Amino acid sequence: MNFDQAHVIVLNGVQTMSLFSCLFLPFFCALVAWLLKAEESTSAGQKTEPDWSSPVLDRHGQGSSLFHTWAPSIKIATLLIAAFVIVSLHTLAWALTALFCCALCVELTGMSWTRPLRRLAALGGFLGMLVVIVPLTSPVQSGETVLVLPGLPEWPYSLAGAHLALTIVCKAMAVALLMEPMLATSSLPQTLQGFTDLGLPASLNQMILLCHRYIFVFQEEMRRMQRSMRVRGFVPRTNIATLRTMGSGFGMLFIRSFERTERVYEAMLSRGYQGSFPAEVRQKITNMDLVKGVLFIMIAAILLAGDRLLPLILF
Amino acid sequence: MHIADGVLPTAVAAGSYIVTLAGLGLSLRTLDQRELPKIAVVSSSFFVASLIHLPLGPTSVHLLLPGLVGALLGPTAFLSIVVGLFLQSLLFQFGGLTALGANSLMMGLPALVCGFLYRRLRGTSKKSNALVGSLVSGLGVLLAALILAFFLATGGESFMGVAKIALVAHIPVMVVEALVGGFVISFLYQVKPELLGVTLARENV
Repeated sequence: MNFDQAHVIVLNGVQTMSLFSCLFLPFFCALVAWLLKAEESTSAGQKTEPDWSSPVLDRHGQGSSLFHTWAPSIKIATLLIAAFVIVSLHTLAWALTALFCCALCVELTGMSWTRPLRRLAALGGFLGMLVVIVPLTSPVQSGETVLVLPGLPEWPYSLAGAHLALTIVCKAMAVALLMEPMLATSSLPQTLQGFTDLGLPASLNQMILLCHRYIFVFQEEMRRMQRSMRVRGFVPRTNIATLRTMGSGFGMLFIRSFERTERVYEAMLSRGYQGSFPAEVRQKITNMDLVKGVLFIMIAAILLAGDRLLPLILF
Repeated sequence: MHIADGVLPTAVAAGSYIVTLAGLGLSLRTLDQRELPKIAVVSSSFFVASLIHLPLGPTSVHLLLPGLVGALLGPTAFLSIVVGLFLQSLLFQFGGLTALGANSLMMGLPALVCGFLYRRLRGTSKKSNALVGSLVSGLGVLLAALILAFFLATGGESFMGVAKIALVAHIPVMVVEALVGGFVISFLYQVKPELLGVTLARENV
């Protein structure tokens, strides 16, 4: 590869190791923290049988933080705009600032960090891939600094690419952290009602509620099926027999869930279901909700302005 | 693979949102209200199925299932996929909220194509159904991977490498899903053909 125009730095093995450990440190921290938390929760969960049938998203729907008291429709609209502003950031420094702001939001909800951290861990695979691949495959521009890693002379490690990848990591983590304050601080029906107030069709709202309810039922069903397969000596391997068995398993899951719902749906109809569930008391939109909205939009605007204007002033 | 927040240019993320919302509006308008619970159920059972990992050599893959959703639901598959992806993002952070539009198009469009093809080509025997089911399952993954690569490539030259690698990484998933999809369809055809919209006499089975 020709990168004559670029500023080339050749690294030895130790430098490469330290560079990559720096890049991956945040991920490992998040992962380890999550594993520790998971350990805690399983040891605590062994005492009592977990109630698998109840949805988990709105377990923290009750609370008194500024997010809990915020009317869902305004909250969702504001934070959705904020999320789009965050993903529009271009510079690492401001993406980090956004990440910090979102972490602050999670802290303000007063909820445990287990679920936010689990969200970050779920991002690990995709973001880890970006962090490794983007710097190695970015086209090298003239005047740019590239690192040549030992054993990879054809794949210069572009610092601009690394900046881009890390900016994306920060943005993705920031929006992921914003999810809990945005969507888990009201009960799910209220959150969905918020979406409906913003113009989402009511029938979609009903579908999401039903789907959400059934996911946990079917997950238990799947677990039961896998357990009974194991009991009968099934060990998943890389072969056709495994795929055939799993295919039949999936087919069985679909059939069981379908038949179950038909029964449930008939029961719902006979109890007077007419396409919508009785609504919970809807929160009225107060001035305070709007003030919060304006405040958050202002923070987002500052982030965007800093991201776009500051480099122009500085350079 | 779901696209995370912050990867796509904002214009692409917002644009795909608008297309997805338009698609949702269209499919809701043509929808029979009584079908809602059925679609919700299919969405949640596919949601659960896509969480299961199948072993593949030293690693494991999970299924994407756009082809099967299309085969089971036909034109309403898009709706089902948007609902499923919304909840995946909501519950597990699989796919970013701002990338929901792009992710929906990535899975929803292949589902529609696969559903159409399956209904056109499946024939009337168990063998042809299983074969076509297998083909559309594989095709679903291929189309999803192509759309994913396209979306990643809109990010500029820096993302070309990622787009190519994502495309290659989907090849084993495609093979596994084609096989599993064929087995699922053949199982459903034998056990409950009504689910596939088959109303022919049972002696063909």
